[in-house]
Amino acid sequence: MTATRGAARLDARDKATGATRYVADLSLPGQLHVAVVRSPLPHAEIEAVDVSSALAAPGVVGVFTADDIGAPLFGRRVRDAPVLAVGKVRYVGEPVAAVVADTRRHAERAATLVDVAYRELPVVASAAEATAPEAPMVHDAPWDYPGAVVGPGDGPNLQSVVRRGDEDLTAEALRSAPVVVDALYTTPAGHQGYLEPQGCVARVGSDGLVEVWINNKSPYRLVGQLAASLGLEPDRIVVHPVPIGGDFGGKGSPMAAPLCVALSRLTGRPCRLVLRYSEDLTSTNPRHPTTMRVRLGADRDGHLLALRFDSLADGGAYAAFKPIASVNLHGVLEAGSPYRIPHRYIESRIAYTTTVPKGHARAPGAPQATFAVESAMDELAGRLGIDPVELRRRNVLGDGDPNPDGVVWIEARGREVLDAAVAALTPRPVPLGWQHGWGISLYDRATAPGQTSLRLLDDPDGGGVVAEVPIPETGTGNHTVVREGLARLLGLGRDRVRVVHVPTSDLPGDAGVGGSRVTASLSEAVERAAAAWAARTGSEPVVVSLGEAGGAERVTSFSAQIAQVAVDPETGQVRVLEIVSAVDVADIVNPAAHRMQIDGGAAMGFGFALLEDLKIEGGQVGAGNLGDFRMPTAHDLPALTTVLVTGGRGVGALNVKQIGELTNVPTAAAIANAVAAATGARIRSIPLTAEAVLSAMGAPE
Amino acid sequence: MKIALTLNGEQASADVEGDSQVLDVLREQFGLTGTKEGCGVGVCGACSVLVDGNPVSSCLYLAGMADGAEVWTVEGLAAKDPDLIEAFVECEGMQCGICTPGQVVAAAALRRHNPDPTEEEIRTWMSGNLCRCTGYGTIVEAVKRYVGRD
Repeated sequence: MTATRGAARLDARDKATGATRYVADLSLPGQLHVAVVRSPLPHAEIEAVDVSSALAAPGVVGVFTADDIGAPLFGRRVRDAPVLAVGKVRYVGEPVAAVVADTRRHAERAATLVDVAYRELPVVASAAEATAPEAPMVHDAPWDYPGAVVGPGDGPNLQSVVRRGDEDLTAEALRSAPVVVDALYTTPAGHQGYLEPQGCVARVGSDGLVEVWINNKSPYRLVGQLAASLGLEPDRIVVHPVPIGGDFGGKGSPMAAPLCVALSRLTGRPCRLVLRYSEDLTSTNPRHPTTMRVRLGADRDGHLLALRFDSLADGGAYAAFKPIASVNLHGVLEAGSPYRIPHRYIESRIAYTTTVPKGHARAPGAPQATFAVESAMDELAGRLGIDPVELRRRNVLGDGDPNPDGVVWIEARGREVLDAAVAALTPRPVPLGWQHGWGISLYDRATAPGQTSLRLLDDPDGGGVVAEVPIPETGTGNHTVVREGLARLLGLGRDRVRVVHVPTSDLPGDAGVGGSRVTASLSEAVERAAAAWAARTGSEPVVVSLGEAGGAERVTSFSAQIAQVAVDPETGQVRVLEIVSAVDVADIVNPAAHRMQIDGGAAMGFGFALLEDLKIEGGQVGAGNLGDFRMPTAHDLPALTTVLVTGGRGVGALNVKQIGELTNVPTAAAIANAVAAATGARIRSIPLTAEAVLSAMGAPE
Repeated sequence: MKIALTLNGEQASADVEGDSQVLDVLREQFGLTGTKEGCGVGVCGACSVLVDGNPVSSCLYLAGMADGAEVWTVEGLAAKDPDLIEAFVECEGMQCGICTPGQVVAAAALRRHNPDPTEEEIRTWMSGNLCRCTGYGTIVEAVKRYVGRD
């Protein structure tokens, strides 16, 4: 490891010089390359697969289908995804066969020679189609899959349905509310946008030991998933440490691992599959497109009385990529969380369709739900004749208030955060003839540590300590957090703390990167390890292991964003002039990394609001390359202004709060609210393209 | 076909196929894995290298066209110009790092083409290099520091 000068980030130099080796940069002795033959159809029976031409192509070692590897299913909770299609394909891009060859080029060329005969089946293109009466079934009996959370009585084509709250009391409160907003909001499918495609190298030794190198952010979970899928003993699987080139929720699924392990077993050699980016855009696990009906009732003074939130999301062909027990999206299940709402009822359904399977994306479900609820809050403000900020101030949680789930936070600083955002707003110059407006949006998200572990030992290279960690560096700076925490608590210089990511065989466990928990989890592990280190009498290593339920403190963070926009009334073009993010923080371990989470989040929220759409139509992803799936560039972004509302109470010895999934969430509603303020046009569907804005301006309500 | 080029300041040659891209030759034949494959269609900039002083997307640059050219990758630029790396390290102009070599190459090219850019010019120049993590603020600061405006 190279020491850094001036900067706190321990991986900076290797990343800047290109020395960091990601999964695509690895080369195992004797490795073979895999190319995948993918379905060109959204729904079809496989009648025949002719591999003879491909087998005869230069460099080809083997061509394999489900007939060769059997029919293992994999998944994070629900095991419903085949490794290679068995009899049927259910989305464009589904793996049907795998070609293994001496080079990637040879494998890819031969893959074009595999001839598959299909018989087309009815397309189930959307969640609405899937849940209509008499809809064709995507799976004959989805309730039979291991881990399934639905039953035959739940209706057709459902992956998950969650009902939360009291439906009758909420209905009654809405009936008697003097003012009710009732509106439908939609958000599109979007890719997480990590620039490093999914990839994996697997080696199955002659002794049966399975070794995996993969850009997967939950390696200990992956061990269990592979064991369950392939019938292996978990202690015969080792996932090796690899840095990850961006995650944003998308790098937590087994992806190519089951296939590469199966192929390595068949060929006796290491097998490597790194997706081309177009494959990643069309066949991994993008964000769920979601349609949400909001019914929000208030009294004439603007006090919220009830919220009913009905969400229907398109889960795609398989439920395999959702990790939580409900197989749902927690951001949807927490709609309205920043406010006091006496009666709230949520129904969240996720449907099977014949489209690419959907998965987690940064704050899963929350950008969608917050777009809907925070747009509805502004619509309510308009109906009541109350200023949108004031409406939020009247309803936001204060100290001691229970949120809609009955949780009372240790402190609730939403009002301070709202006020800080407003105080930071200064009007910016507007092009001549353009219409100007600003809009606000509010979100809150909890900080809770989760399972992790850590080993501390004397550095054999002298002087300091080595901290072995179980968790990949996805870019958030989590290894730097460990170094910084240990340096502080042990009173050592940074250069005397070496952080090493170790294989899954070396530490007790870890829940993986996600849930905004990593800084909290690691800082708690660091705190315990430092205490044990100080108390040790010999020179034995210290191992700490945190269980599932971490600290008991109930901590949340609020984030208020204000978007300032100019809209060209001639074209509908929206120019965002500034995004102010006011965020609720405790102590900050690494200011630069913390800031990048805020700025990067706002940038992602900006893309979600204005640009990004996989354009899934008729079962097929239309935006199949990064020219069509447009993400923000340095030139596209507005001024990003951050106000840190400091002094918050966090968790652990480092007194930290989450920051990774805070500022990407409220942005879309802030921008939609700003466009409505500027033009009078309320747009309930994103992205807010110029065409959509112009059309809405032509038809004001 | 056989190509000869100057690679990171040294003479080099390679056997390439007619449709080989510079990216594949660098990574597979020369082991220079600092140059990353991102989008594969010339949009994201992760595979940026300098060819005769100009930044190009090596995923779309046919190896045959690099015959006789002077090619610099992130590895060569890092060795030749420590200030370039220091600027990114000190400003922490990265998170996951997968786009960073491309950003570094683009910054090196900017200083050659415009030694005194405004922030607007930096943002326009760097818009050929996507970053999903940072929101670009620390990258723009690193470029400013490198070209001497900060």
